[in-house]
Amino acid sequence: MGAIISALQQSDKTYIYVYQSVIRYIIPILAGLLLYRCIRPLVTFRREPEIWAWICLGNGKKLPVTHWESVIGRSKRSDIVIGIPTISRNHAVLTRYDDGSWTIADAGSKSGTRVNGKKISICPLEENDVIAIGGVEMTLQPISRRQEVRLSQLRTKASSPFRSVVNLSLLTVLQFLFCFSYLLVENVEDARLIFTGFLGITIFQWGMLTFYLIVKKPSFEVETLAFFLCTLGMVVISAVKPTEAVKQLAAISLGLGLFVGLGFVLRDLEHAKRVRYAAAIIGVVLLLITLVFGKEYHGAKNWLIIGSFSIQPSELSKVCFVFVGAATLDRLVNRRNLILFIVYTGVICVCLALMNDFGTALIFFVAFLLIAYLRSGSIGTIALACSAVGFAGILAVKIAPHALRRFESWRHIWEDPLNTGFQQTRALMCVAAGGFFGLGAGNGWMRRVFAADSDMVFASLSEEHGLLLSLMAVVCILALGLFVLRSAAIGRSSFYTIGACTAAGIYLVQAILNTLGTVDLLPLTGVTFPFLSNGGSSMICAWGLLAFIKAADTRQDASFSVRQSKYGRDQDE
Amino acid sequence: MNRIMRRSRILLILILVMALGISVFSVEYYIKAKDWIMFPGSPHLYNSGNLGCGIVTDRDGILLMDMRDQRTYAENEMLRQSTVHWLGDRNGKVSAPALSNYAMQIAGFKVVNGVYTYGGTAGKAQISLSAKAQIAAFEAMAGQKGTVAVFNYKTGELICAVTTPTFDPNLPPDAAQEEVSGADGFYLNRFTQSVYIPGSIFKIATTAAALEAIPDALELRFQCEGTMEFGVDTVTCTGTHGDISLKEAFAYSCNCAYAQLSLKLGAETLDRYIRQFGIVDSIRFDGIETVSGNVQILNQAPVQVAWSGIGQHKDQVNPCAFMTFVGAIANGGIVTNPYLVSEITVGNSVTYQSENQTSKRIMSTKTATALQEFMRNNVQTVYSDEYFPGLTVCAKSGTAEVGAGLLPNGTFAGFSSDPDFPLAFIIFVENSGSGSSICLPILSKVLAACKEAI
Repeated sequence: MGAIISALQQSDKTYIYVYQSVIRYIIPILAGLLLYRCIRPLVTFRREPEIWAWICLGNGKKLPVTHWESVIGRSKRSDIVIGIPTISRNHAVLTRYDDGSWTIADAGSKSGTRVNGKKISICPLEENDVIAIGGVEMTLQPISRRQEVRLSQLRTKASSPFRSVVNLSLLTVLQFLFCFSYLLVENVEDARLIFTGFLGITIFQWGMLTFYLIVKKPSFEVETLAFFLCTLGMVVISAVKPTEAVKQLAAISLGLGLFVGLGFVLRDLEHAKRVRYAAAIIGVVLLLITLVFGKEYHGAKNWLIIGSFSIQPSELSKVCFVFVGAATLDRLVNRRNLILFIVYTGVICVCLALMNDFGTALIFFVAFLLIAYLRSGSIGTIALACSAVGFAGILAVKIAPHALRRFESWRHIWEDPLNTGFQQTRALMCVAAGGFFGLGAGNGWMRRVFAADSDMVFASLSEEHGLLLSLMAVVCILALGLFVLRSAAIGRSSFYTIGACTAAGIYLVQAILNTLGTVDLLPLTGVTFPFLSNGGSSMICAWGLLAFIKAADTRQDASFSVRQSKYGRDQDE
Repeated sequence: MNRIMRRSRILLILILVMALGISVFSVEYYIKAKDWIMFPGSPHLYNSGNLGCGIVTDRDGILLMDMRDQRTYAENEMLRQSTVHWLGDRNGKVSAPALSNYAMQIAGFKVVNGVYTYGGTAGKAQISLSAKAQIAAFEAMAGQKGTVAVFNYKTGELICAVTTPTFDPNLPPDAAQEEVSGADGFYLNRFTQSVYIPGSIFKIATTAAALEAIPDALELRFQCEGTMEFGVDTVTCTGTHGDISLKEAFAYSCNCAYAQLSLKLGAETLDRYIRQFGIVDSIRFDGIETVSGNVQILNQAPVQVAWSGIGQHKDQVNPCAFMTFVGAIANGGIVTNPYLVSEITVGNSVTYQSENQTSKRIMSTKTATALQEFMRNNVQTVYSDEYFPGLTVCAKSGTAEVGAGLLPNGTFAGFSSDPDFPLAFIIFVENSGSGSSICLPILSKVLAACKEAI
């Protein structure tokens, strides 16, 4: 290996120059093609209405049930609207389960919900059970197994195995081109690590796809985007800190583990709901441990050192927070849960305030707002706004000096280019130096800037490989956001929809703070870019969040974390 | 679920913020990338405060400096010493504004391509100085302090410009040396950043003013008795010249005659012409800005006006500005600004090309022609053509009293009127004593080298 690298580097410089001058154009073209192929199906898939059951009213009228979780009520915004004054605005919640069984739960209605004449709060439904709400009698008639099979077949096919293999091959070519360009310029020791790093990602991605193909879930676009970002992250590490290539690879493997593990947990909604409590406790405990045993680096006490490992538990808390925030529809109508959630958020924010971790606090804050809005809508907005202000207040009081200092230099970096504006002025100078296509591997200067591989990753990537590629990284995150937005419409449970929206929200906030902070459109907060920034905890968290996005992807054969209709598959075969 | 679906659209806010932010940045990049890359300290262009990319050659392509990595200067030590004030040093103690001014062109910056060049090919800046003339001038100065410069008054090319004391950028002065001889100013570019008392070379300007303002100036006669009394003050002359014409007074540098001429012109007229000639102005070229000179003629006692016309009193001129003025006389009254950077190429593309720097007329052709003849007469009758084989030199010497018990500064300014060798020059040698005897041998060598260079 070493001999090969040495031989490569000793070859005529002309070869290296020609290689660099050619790949600077090939890389953005290939990357653009890859993104186009991955993103188009994610943002253009058809969203067919599905009918899972019928509500039969006494007068012979039939109302379709189009979701697994449906609110029955008088309000026009209910899923099943029955416009009779005796029915509450949100009267009851109808829920379908994996095995095809149904329940009905009262949603705190005035007149209550009765099944077969008995007043209930929650009750499993059998066929021909008579439901009475507000004096209106009805029965639930689930679709037949045959119909279910048809429905399953009609769903948009997410992707073909062939398409996924082609996409991943494109990514592999990119990885080869990147890796080779660094092998030509770095010293033998570093080159070995870089090679391992790239090879590792390639092996992981093909291993993952093989697993997907075995379980017959060939949709790999979301994962391909994540691996694309990981690859760009490895590129920046090769340029900035080659010695950490293998460490980052290990983080990716842990992240993949978490992704698959969470995917299986989320597969079963009942299971996921149980894990929620554990996640809540783990989330807070992680922060408390950090608060007690944490090490302070650069102003924030958010590092935990165990032996030779250092982790940032607040990153992992994010995954737990999404778990805690997500909830099924029948619970959403219960105000008590939201109050608990606000209290929980309060505890977390106090921990973060004590740690002086401004960036993470901001991410939690936005995640909190997102969840709070998704869960309450306009109704609870006032209460939530109050707690939001309280949250912000604690932030402001506790970390004001820290935060204010960042604000001082914001939009004034050129006035103090050697001190407070150093990182960002260098970043902009280097972005400009790289132009659209970059200066080529090993020709960057950003490696001398603090946090060039994490906070400043946008600039580091831009300098050596061009602004176009950096913008593509941003496009990946935008595409994930749009995909979640679209898949929310076909979400089966609000648990998944809230989870996916929060996860995408966290990605977006991180990308916004990271990118716009680097280029001085926002104050620099030291937040990582998902998948791209060097940092083990951040990488693991990013993969963990991806599991939530995957769980909300109900396209046919799209996701191993979404269970396909049991019967559908059985009878197909 | 309908509600949750609707509410999930809140995600659009974040998506829009991200998209908007990145669009704003893209526009900002397009507009400002040039400023970012040019900002002093920009790592791909600068190195320790001075430019750190590209190479610089003299007019014949001789390498003066390779700015990449830790900077490589010319092989020849004298060439290094004589050019360091134009190229800058490694530590940023001597800045090189002319090169920084073209940082973007040397780096070959383009919005789309950044500063990428195939295989890191360096940009090449060719400056108009001649390495041979620089070495000749440095040798001829022989350790004396001062500055000597020659430029082409037709095109503006600066062919030679040496300032001393200087230092070898490969062996920069240490703190102790700075302490001891810091006052000598070896970091100072005397040609652009110093002002000198001009002494008698200022009589060129006074004569020009007289020729412009007094219709029969050529007919004027002056009486010189060696001294001229102004109450308690006296203007002393170099000799007793008796009854002389303006041309003779100019040739003998007669102080009494110039005292009379200054008073005849009057303070206001003299002041107006000095300013019109741009002698005390700051000259700007290639990002260099010379220090402005100074005269104090208005509201002064007659003896002070008289001394001002002689080139003493509060008169201070910048060598570069005065050379430009002398060049304008040679050029028939039209100023040609000097320039240093001739051409910049990156790979095969030319990113900068100098232009002829001719600007405005400051005196009539008639005045210029008369002055040319006066200055030619000086060389023929006083200084001798021997020093300038093959050239038709017109000049005026000066010996500027600097006071404080120091020897006067020797100065010499003039030009060659040969159409093939349109060279204007200036020299100041500090505390050298008499002007012409010190300056002539130096100039002889410098002009010979410049003649060969063009």
